[in-house]
Amino acid sequence: MSPVLGHNSPGRDLKVRYLWLGLAMLAGILALAVQLYRLQVIRHDEYTAKSVSNFVKETRILADRGMIKDAHGQILVQNRPSFDVFVTPAFCERCDTEVLPRVGQLLGWDAATLTKAVDDVKAARRKAPFRPVAVRIDLRRDELDILSAHLRGLSGVDVVAVPHRAYRTSTVLAHVLGYMNEISERELERPPPDGRPYQPADYVGRAGLERSFEATLRGEDGVTRAVVDARGQSIAGLQWLIDEHEVLPKPGNNLVLSIDMRLQEVAEQAFPGTAGAVVAVDVKTGFILAMVSRPGFDPNVLTGRVTAAQMAALAKDPLQPMIFRPTAQHYSPGSTFKVLTSIAAFRSGQFSPQSTATCHGGYRLGRRTWRCHLDRGHGVVDARTALQKSCDVWYYKVGDTLGLDPIAKVGEEFGLGQPTGIGVVGEVPGIMPTEAYHDRVHKRYGGYMKGFALNSSTGQGDVNVTPLQLALMYAAIANGGKVWVPQLVRSIEDAEGKAIRSFEPKLARQVELKPEHRKVLVDALVSVVNEPGGTAYRARLEDVTVAGKTGTAQVARLGAVRLKTHQMDYWLRDHAWFAAFAPAEDPEIAIVVLNEHGGHGGADAAPTAQAVFRKYFDLKREDSARAAGQLPVAAAPTGGVPVGAQSFAPPSHILSGQPAPVRAPRASPQLVTSGMTLPAAVLVPAHGGTTVPASAPVETAARVPVRAPKVAVLPPASAAPTTQDPQPVVPGAGSGEQPEGPTAREATQDSPVRPRDVSAPETPEETEPTLALPEEGQ
Amino acid sequence: MDLMQMRVERRMVPHVPWGVVLTALVLALIGIWNLASAARPPHTPVWKAQLAYLGISVVAMGVVAALKFQFLQRIALPFYVVNLLALVALRFVGHTAKGAESWFNLGPLRIQPAEFMKIGLILMMAKFFHDDFRPSDDRYGFLRLVRPALIAAVPTVLVLAQPDLGTAMMLGLTSLTLLLFARVRWPVAVVLVTGLLTVSVVIWNDYVRKSPPDQPHATLLRHRLKKHQSARISGWLDPESDLRGTNYHSAQSKIAVGSGGLTGKGWQKGTQTGLSFLPEQHTDFIFSVWAEEQGFLACVGLLALYAMLLLYSLGVASQARDRFGAFIAVGVTAMLFWQVFENIGMVIGLLPVTGITLPLLSYGGSSMLSVMMSLGLLVNIAMRRHMF
Repeated sequence: MSPVLGHNSPGRDLKVRYLWLGLAMLAGILALAVQLYRLQVIRHDEYTAKSVSNFVKETRILADRGMIKDAHGQILVQNRPSFDVFVTPAFCERCDTEVLPRVGQLLGWDAATLTKAVDDVKAARRKAPFRPVAVRIDLRRDELDILSAHLRGLSGVDVVAVPHRAYRTSTVLAHVLGYMNEISERELERPPPDGRPYQPADYVGRAGLERSFEATLRGEDGVTRAVVDARGQSIAGLQWLIDEHEVLPKPGNNLVLSIDMRLQEVAEQAFPGTAGAVVAVDVKTGFILAMVSRPGFDPNVLTGRVTAAQMAALAKDPLQPMIFRPTAQHYSPGSTFKVLTSIAAFRSGQFSPQSTATCHGGYRLGRRTWRCHLDRGHGVVDARTALQKSCDVWYYKVGDTLGLDPIAKVGEEFGLGQPTGIGVVGEVPGIMPTEAYHDRVHKRYGGYMKGFALNSSTGQGDVNVTPLQLALMYAAIANGGKVWVPQLVRSIEDAEGKAIRSFEPKLARQVELKPEHRKVLVDALVSVVNEPGGTAYRARLEDVTVAGKTGTAQVARLGAVRLKTHQMDYWLRDHAWFAAFAPAEDPEIAIVVLNEHGGHGGADAAPTAQAVFRKYFDLKREDSARAAGQLPVAAAPTGGVPVGAQSFAPPSHILSGQPAPVRAPRASPQLVTSGMTLPAAVLVPAHGGTTVPASAPVETAARVPVRAPKVAVLPPASAAPTTQDPQPVVPGAGSGEQPEGPTAREATQDSPVRPRDVSAPETPEETEPTLALPEEGQ
Repeated sequence: MDLMQMRVERRMVPHVPWGVVLTALVLALIGIWNLASAARPPHTPVWKAQLAYLGISVVAMGVVAALKFQFLQRIALPFYVVNLLALVALRFVGHTAKGAESWFNLGPLRIQPAEFMKIGLILMMAKFFHDDFRPSDDRYGFLRLVRPALIAAVPTVLVLAQPDLGTAMMLGLTSLTLLLFARVRWPVAVVLVTGLLTVSVVIWNDYVRKSPPDQPHATLLRHRLKKHQSARISGWLDPESDLRGTNYHSAQSKIAVGSGGLTGKGWQKGTQTGLSFLPEQHTDFIFSVWAEEQGFLACVGLLALYAMLLLYSLGVASQARDRFGAFIAVGVTAMLFWQVFENIGMVIGLLPVTGITLPLLSYGGSSMLSVMMSLGLLVNIAMRRHMF
């Protein structure tokens, strides 16, 4: 069909349309040009930055975190290589469906772990696809071998050696050293306090020294830069695109503690209790020489990936292992407080060292009688005898005469009722009640009454102190009134070990303490320890004069019958205290031992102090001999260098997910504790499974308390967690098989320190009278 | 039949539209130079192949230019139908690449029928508007538009079903341009405007509107689209949302273009190109290579060359001897324009990523051949403008 003539002229009318069409197309091209201008000229810098970040792969070189050492250079915390599995989402093809399930299969993951890893990688893919995500930290050696063999087939999966924190002393000093874990999203958003930004998956110090000295310990990370293509492969020919290829990391600084690990070790081993604290301070500087908190936890476990359930288990443990007992828990000081009452009495002028009181076994105020711990009475006692025999009546008289406030004032001067300022660990201020305090707290009973002063004068009532406060107080009495700010860190040194800063003793307060008063007190304290029949006769040393005071703080109201310790429920037993310093002539070291629910100060706290004192003076002799060249200078610090398999064996086996122990009802459980300082103890219900019903006869319960076995501070390699064993050994599980009843233990423990004069009856250890509020004042 | 249908006379030679031919050759040579950079090692250096394709295409252009004008008119319908059949046949014997069935595998050759459908459609539409011309009533109302709309819709839908959103959009837009060029009544214009608005509303409802996850609102079209098509539209609307996923192309391409700056990084110095951050860098995203390595000024130069080509083509159209020639020329021009606009628009983030080539610059035989054959049509028309 050929076109019809006349149809074939395009006609003039089309001309206008060509014009419009041409203009429209030019407009379109112009629009493109405008957008090009926006991208290439206006936003050029932004896109240049993006293109650079595209092809420059920055690999962080992690700085070594500083080590923590004891006073003699023994390493307590260091870094060890941990083999972590990383996935880079951008390079991981079919990650969720093939790669991760394969990794999980090789490492024996359960479904939940796999799901979490898949979710983590998915989330990272959305946010920062080129940043590696750790899907597993701390591979075991066998896992590392298996994974390495299959790595070639797993796209985007890398195994990288990452420095990991190794706490070589496991539970020992755990609260002081602290632990670390992964930085949270919220913290990442905040500007870092030291100006060095953190990155996701960084670890930060969470407690103790790791937290307080975070800025000192963490170094400055370095970086390597390489030009990579879209697959992340480095392109050798294009490295000229980058100016600076490597920035070396700066390692963090080391902390040198005032803690002497040799002393600490002895304190750990000598402490017999289930729970409690030992504090040893340098009387002349306030530096802390040893500090035990029992039970502890293993920072190696917490530094890593602890699940919320495991943290909850720790938090629910009735013994509260996360609480640092030397500073973060306060206790009624019991008789150890009486030195302050004496000082208040002397200061008032109404009492002198020669002032006497007559003890008939009680002190009558109004219609009530305050009982002395010795029912038959001490007879006529002066200030010295009162302190030596811990006669309550003399102190009741002081409380009755002075009222509460003069005593409280002395207490406050010695640092009670206020934080010590140690800083590194959490603190409670304790309570030093005043009359105003009672007016406020006991409003509904009519506010302050004289009875409160009587209670407080013997360290009962509302007086509450932390073991550290008590140690500083005794140190202040020992050194003539210097109340120190306690310190743990002696100096900071750089990575090469060159000291860059050392800490000087810090005086909190100089308390007025007349030498003649101090002499009376020290004499009395010396006789407590050194005279047969003194309550702390077990703490004496052959060649050094120890001055100290026992204390037994009641936890529960006294019943009609005085029960023996082992007849009482654990939670109802008294706290045993011992506070001491030595040598009495020129005191150097003050020690406080608190054995929670331990029983009597003399039997259950004093021997620990004795062991620490003995070690301290032995070491002093040894060190001075070495300094004088009589002993060879040890190349490495002596005293059980804590190198063991556990340094490289990751604590993964511990995370076994055991159910949390439920806090036992007060009346029921006997506590089977042992091995609380063994690494595995923390997350294991040490007393689980052996709970005796509340209705169990007392006799049954009485048989149960088993002391913690001697604890090796630095467990031998065999005690270290073995990687093969995924199930932690439940410490103390076989408690029933331990034949050692309390009686047997008493005999064996007591024999070396039992006074020769057997005829002298052992004082039944002052047990303070009732804590009940007086029914009426005066 | 072939030789019989070709005829070149001496008097035609002065009318060869050298502007069109030379601009196209310059663009093609620039393209080859650019390809030598885009597909540098470790990629296969394809610029030699492209040079060969150019040679073949120039010959094809000559052949098309030499064809008798009447032959074009006669062949319009059969060519259109054959291409339609080819598109249908693709459904059964097509080769799937990148999720779309767009190719015939003929031994070493792979042929993309949709590329030739563009020419077929233009010829068919031109033939229709030529045959259908009524001097007394030159404005098209609804009824008279049914047939051209069908002519355009059938191949468009077939291509859309491959699925090849980019080529389908191009066929649709080229047809629309021809329709508008043929003059429509104002109610038709109103409907077209309404149609565009509807599309906008659909996109807003399906891709922009946010509702709580537990009570999702009904989507109008989204659930009917293939996932990758849907994702491309959402990626176009929010390119930064997913760097390594669907919008990876869009984001990386913008980075390439933007980092080029005023004067570019230099030939073979583009990092986005050299380090393979841009997939399809030598085909669909060839413009980003140019933009990254040569910079804004060279981009404007390239756009100016395209503008010249388009204006020369319009010039050919305006001097065509009849409506058939005029509509072919306008169709070819419109097709070139939409292809350039869509491709560059997608590279610089104005339009969704639809996978179409940049005429004369992208690597690929089918693309080069179809563009040069279209230009051959222009030459044909221009040479015969004074003939009868």
